[in-house]
Amino acid sequence: MSDPNQQQLPPGWAAEWDGTHQRYLFIETATGRTQWEPPVLSAELQPMAPTSSPPPSNVHHAKRRQYAAGQTQAYYGTESTLGSGGGYPAPPSQQQQPNQLFTPGLAAENQFQQQQQQQPQLQPGQQQYYGGVQPEPEYINGPQYGQQQQQQMGTLADQFGQMNMGQKGLRLYTTNLLTSPPDPRELHNPPPEIVLPPNSCISPNPSANADPSYQRCTINAIPTSNSLLKKANIPFGLVLTPYRSLKEGDEAVPVVTDTVIARCRRCRTYINPYVQFIDGGNRWRCCMCSLSNEVPQLFDWDQVRNAPGDRWARPELNYGVVEFVAPTEYMARPPQPAVYVFLIDVSHSAIQSGMVATATRTILENLDRLPDEDGRTKVAIIAFDVSLYFFSMPPGTTDSSMLVVSDVEDVFLPKPTDLLVNLAEARASLEALLGRLGDMFKENHIIGSALGPALQAAFQLMSPIGGKIIVLSSSLPSVGAGALKNREDPKILGTTKESGLLQAASPFYKTFAIECSRGQVSVDMFLFSAAYQDVATLACLPHYTAGQTYFYPAFNARTEDARKFAHEFGEVLAQPIMLEAVMRVRASKNLRMSSFHGNFFVRSTDLLAMPAVPQDLSYAIEVQIEDTITAPFVVFQTAVLHTTCYGERRIRVVTTALPTTGNLSEVFASADQVAIATLLANKAVERCITHKLEDSRDALFNKTVEILTAYKASMTAAGAGASAQLAVSENLKMLPVLVLGLLKNVGIRQSSQIPPDLRAYAQALLTSLPAQLLMPYIYPTFYSLHNMSPECGTVGEQGVILPPPLPLSSERLERHGLYLIEDGQTIFLWVGRDAVPQLIADVFNLPNYEVLRGGKTTLPLLENAFSQRVNAIVQKTREMRRGPYWPHLYIVKEDGEPALRLWALSCLIQDRSDVLPSYQQFISQLKDKVNGGNY
Amino acid sequence: MVFFIIMFSDLECDYINPIDLCNKLNQFVLPEIGAHGFLTLLFLVSGQWVAFLINAPLLALNVNKVRLSNHMYDATEIFRTLPAHKKEAFIKLGFYLVTFFYYLFRMIAVLIAEGDA
Repeated sequence: MSDPNQQQLPPGWAAEWDGTHQRYLFIETATGRTQWEPPVLSAELQPMAPTSSPPPSNVHHAKRRQYAAGQTQAYYGTESTLGSGGGYPAPPSQQQQPNQLFTPGLAAENQFQQQQQQQPQLQPGQQQYYGGVQPEPEYINGPQYGQQQQQQMGTLADQFGQMNMGQKGLRLYTTNLLTSPPDPRELHNPPPEIVLPPNSCISPNPSANADPSYQRCTINAIPTSNSLLKKANIPFGLVLTPYRSLKEGDEAVPVVTDTVIARCRRCRTYINPYVQFIDGGNRWRCCMCSLSNEVPQLFDWDQVRNAPGDRWARPELNYGVVEFVAPTEYMARPPQPAVYVFLIDVSHSAIQSGMVATATRTILENLDRLPDEDGRTKVAIIAFDVSLYFFSMPPGTTDSSMLVVSDVEDVFLPKPTDLLVNLAEARASLEALLGRLGDMFKENHIIGSALGPALQAAFQLMSPIGGKIIVLSSSLPSVGAGALKNREDPKILGTTKESGLLQAASPFYKTFAIECSRGQVSVDMFLFSAAYQDVATLACLPHYTAGQTYFYPAFNARTEDARKFAHEFGEVLAQPIMLEAVMRVRASKNLRMSSFHGNFFVRSTDLLAMPAVPQDLSYAIEVQIEDTITAPFVVFQTAVLHTTCYGERRIRVVTTALPTTGNLSEVFASADQVAIATLLANKAVERCITHKLEDSRDALFNKTVEILTAYKASMTAAGAGASAQLAVSENLKMLPVLVLGLLKNVGIRQSSQIPPDLRAYAQALLTSLPAQLLMPYIYPTFYSLHNMSPECGTVGEQGVILPPPLPLSSERLERHGLYLIEDGQTIFLWVGRDAVPQLIADVFNLPNYEVLRGGKTTLPLLENAFSQRVNAIVQKTREMRRGPYWPHLYIVKEDGEPALRLWALSCLIQDRSDVLPSYQQFISQLKDKVNGGNY
Repeated sequence: MVFFIIMFSDLECDYINPIDLCNKLNQFVLPEIGAHGFLTLLFLVSGQWVAFLINAPLLALNVNKVRLSNHMYDATEIFRTLPAHKKEAFIKLGFYLVTFFYYLFRMIAVLIAEGDA
């Protein structure tokens, strides 16, 4: 038995060899208590807590320099378990034998040899550094990979294996939905912890598994067989946002620059932290198909310094999200420049609403922010009403000439050159043109829109290169190809025929989308119409070309609309987009990606084509278990091959490893309610389009019933019989309320009042928003402002402190209160009818409630603390999430305009609203169904 | 139909991309429907009631498809609807084979009857 001092002992314990009994005596140093049994840590701490960390010597800092101290600390355990002070306290035994301390970072050869000799008896000590999770990092900086080390690795692995035998999976806590109301704070909890088996990861880095904001699975412990999954009845899928924007404080994605890309020969998996090195480090075993592959020779060679490199420091072995710079084999053609073609509607309605003026001003202001690091970005502007207006900007001049094409039946380009110009070269003429564009069409009274021909022209212009078409349109396309009819009919809203309005009316937009996808052209739609514009049909184009739809109903530049649009449009322009991308998700054996949801074109069974990838779009993929999984853990790897907007071919690889389990309770305990809700939203929208809205609502409800029934049958004592409770695990507690939120969302809600345009837009959002934005969209946040505590709205450690969110129920609304309800797209400031004049004066600078007007507004920033705090909260709400959205602020008076009031109240989804049940009713419906058993 | 089935399995094995597949298949969809319609019409005109009744359901199905304008293969939906398309192609293949032998049998029967007379 090895020295237990070197092994894992909880803090405050020491071991002493007892000669008479020939075994160790364990002493708790603080109390003097002694015992024979080795003290154990609590189950949660065991896998991570470093019970005896190395003394904070310089050597160690040098070795672990790539990780900030805070990070390591956060990963290895909290300070509280380690005792006071910032550093790690060293256990007494180690301080007594400082010469035995293993210092892997030392580069000097002789020291390394010393370590080599010492290592055998030092192995147990190793566990203390890495908490028993990662066996290999002691080879960091190791100059060779000898046979001796292999043996050590083996023994080490065994030891770790034993040590973690007692490690428990996630524990299941059952709650009763009837007695525990949903708590909005739980939505912000991280997904259930991923407890990987020991030895699965070769990196000690906490980011070896991709962050859930990049990729998350609905179940964090994969059932080993399909029958087990059927028993749990939880939808199984991945929710991914591979191209996530980086907010302040986010770590940038590490880049592998030396174009050494190790991939499995058979399944083409990229090397990741979950592979195994075998054969003295010369080969690696693929974690998906377990084929042994050769390690590329340049893997251990630092090409920048031209010296032997350290493979353990390579980013692809340490991070779940990495980017490879791709060599020429990954290019079908040299990297293309970024191309932006703006299609601007200049018909009467567009000019009248001020859209053209706002748009040109925004483009002008954001020319600098357009990604153009290498000076290759190209821009073209085409205006259209019932004819097309091209603008030719010859290089070297500052003026532009307008070319009118009024033959929209057979579109042609009036000039072969100078229409698509280099941004840097034609900057002056572009600025002049953008400045004049609004005035040029000021007197335009033409009504109608030749959107289809304009799209064709733009496509002709850019098809040799590919890029992005940005459409700004404020009327229904009426001329030429792709003309649409007004098919809005209030009589069929709320009936079974309504889903027809959500399907594409004309095949043009689908076939054109396919053409675009082939030509690497992506389309973004900005729609502004006050009247019916057939968003459902137009949204097809962004949907299949990996763009995004933005809708500003009844846009009017004289209101706050201008600011919202300018902000969102500016953000979209500034996004460093990925071009010419294809995405593929690979998974371990016996897992198959069965269906795909999101904005892209499925080019083959598992290849998703995306001509341009905007930031912060979410995709959902359903996964099937084909056969029994025998591996202890499975790996999902998303690879996006793309061209960056500054002309570099890259591959972004997102890897997630998840443990498998044969235990049903672990499956339930590891279910991720946020991911499930996201997947369900995607499935529900698809069902709306292919079937009926009614079907999709039923499917959502039935799925929830199925999950709850499965839980009740297998996890509670009631079994199949009736039960007074409605049990579900703690981590799925919010699922029913999220489903209720989905059922009440504009995109799916049963109602005969929702215009099809709004519905189609809501559906486009439901399928493309990442979880961070989708959660508030289906479960809005609700704050009470008039009685918030004094620190709310002030700047705290993590930025502005927000008040605690309230459950979404109008019983929380008091008559004298001020409330904020927001769903990520809109913010409502609810003012109770008995609000005291002081409150109104403080926030709105008005004498009393009567003179306050409801509607879109900007809050004045006043010279009082309360106003500043409210403004800070609104600001924070607008900024805290990723994505370009800038929510409008509406003031809602309790006795104000009924439409606005109802809109705000519809966000309070736990209430009853006409035909839709309240949360309590919904829960009891669920309970009846679950107990009834037949549905 | 055999061609259709081969193309569908090509798509599943990633030998062909959905855009090409749909372009290739779609040019045969209307001729097929037309030929079938013409044949059925011939049966009706020539008073072959049994043969006409056998073909009538398929004709009705085709007419309905054209009316709802979903007779063409849609490249964006093809992966979602692939199993259904394959099943349909197999059933049609079987149907055409059976009817072909039925026509052959009828023809021979008529020829023999004429020879007797």
